[in-house]
Amino acid sequence: MRPERLLRLLPGLAFLALLLLALEGAVNAGLIRRALMPPPSAIWEVLRDLVLSGEVLGPLSATLRLVFAGFAIGSVIGIALGAAMAWWAPAYRLLEPLVEMIRPLPKSALVPPLMLFLGIGDTMKITSVALAVTFPVLVNTLQGVRGVDRVLLDAARTHGWGTARALWHVVLPAALPFILAGMRTSLGLALIIAVLSEMLTGQGGLGFLILDMQRSFLIRQMYAWLVILALVGLALNALFAWAEARALHWQARTP
Amino acid sequence: MAILELEAVEKSFPARGGPAMLAMDRISLAVREGEFLSILGPSGCGKSTLLQIAAGLMPPSAGTVRVAGRPVTGPPPEAVYVFQQYGRSLLPWRTVRDNVAFAVEHRPGISKARARELADVQLAAVALTGFGDHFPWQLSGGMQQRVALARALAAEPKIMLLDEPFSAVDALTRLDLHRLMLELWEKRGLTVVLVTHDVEEAVALSDRVALLTKRPSTIARLVETGLPRPRDAVEVRETPRFLELRHELLDALLTRHAPGDGHAA
Repeated sequence: MRPERLLRLLPGLAFLALLLLALEGAVNAGLIRRALMPPPSAIWEVLRDLVLSGEVLGPLSATLRLVFAGFAIGSVIGIALGAAMAWWAPAYRLLEPLVEMIRPLPKSALVPPLMLFLGIGDTMKITSVALAVTFPVLVNTLQGVRGVDRVLLDAARTHGWGTARALWHVVLPAALPFILAGMRTSLGLALIIAVLSEMLTGQGGLGFLILDMQRSFLIRQMYAWLVILALVGLALNALFAWAEARALHWQARTP
Repeated sequence: MAILELEAVEKSFPARGGPAMLAMDRISLAVREGEFLSILGPSGCGKSTLLQIAAGLMPPSAGTVRVAGRPVTGPPPEAVYVFQQYGRSLLPWRTVRDNVAFAVEHRPGISKARARELADVQLAAVALTGFGDHFPWQLSGGMQQRVALARALAAEPKIMLLDEPFSAVDALTRLDLHRLMLELWEKRGLTVVLVTHDVEEAVALSDRVALLTKRPSTIARLVETGLPRPRDAVEVRETPRFLELRHELLDALLTRHAPGDGHAA
């Protein structure tokens, strides 16, 4: 399995390396202005220094804190509201128009008004991230809970399970594949909004640094932080995929 | 003494752009404690609906259901329903053992560990010892249905309501399950109501067979099989009485075109 997987990744990785090499060559040949796009090797040097000096840790943890806190809060709210709307018709009728109103709105547009109320600190940033996370989770939970097989619910009832217990032990696990799919979408959004809110507030974290370096014309540094951000996104996805596979291990070979 | 009584039970379903469709018409039936009764009828006659009403999973449109003398408003603790679709009634994220523990783990005073012990006992009773750590999808259909039976048994019900539980497996597995069901029924003093469209199955297992008509269904006949107990699910099929009943009931099923033309027994 392992070597096979490596083999499958190989063409893509080779292509990536080729692109970097071509870029390096193009910059050195003067085809691209070095001031705007330094060669990858120069970016690599900055990147290495940032990591080895430990300078990367502060901004990294600042951004990750926003992502994790906002993701956790938004997921809990999304699951709770989605399940309530699916389970209880009055909740659906009450909340559906509101949800449909806010859902299509790019949550990035909500950062400026939130700044008016919550300032530019972590509270505002985490709130923005949580808001962005809530809706995909909510909509998927709603669908997942609605789709739970009637037979499973009847099985719980005939064995004397109360509603609350059935919700927790039957409905939520049955809807879990949907809920996790929503959370996966939300994780990407969480990172986007975290970075954007850092840029808009000019405070802390990877987003702020990328903008700040660009404005200070520290172009190599800007690209180095960009690479770090890309790696963060990659790592978050991998972590989530791992957690998802563990949570849904029972699904492994269901046709 | 009747442990489960249906009294003038009616069920109608709303029909699109018309009057409600009457699915069953004043069905009365008294199931005796400890008996094995089959409800036999053509496809779509509402047998499963009737059983779900008896299980408290669906309210009747009119009439009453009583279990142990008490009117049924929700699933009564004395009765457990076993679903036709075993694949859909087991929790796919739980192991076989935890699926069976599902029947008891919510009860006061039963720890998770105790629930699993009880589950293992029931798994042994359906000859699934050693499969506790498997997931349902790793088991064959017949084995999955045995898990469902073990789960129902773990609840220690007085009444088991079986909704065509043997219809989705191959013929040999079905006979195997028939034997198992008879053994369990005899050992545990259960009252069983089995819904089926299989005449042989109904006759081979039952003390009485209730024959339903097409919609709106009523009980056309209620036949005492009079077959000896204890009974072997295979050998009984060779007795003259079995053949006679099989003939009679098949005849009734096949020739009964108009609804409600039978005489209630």
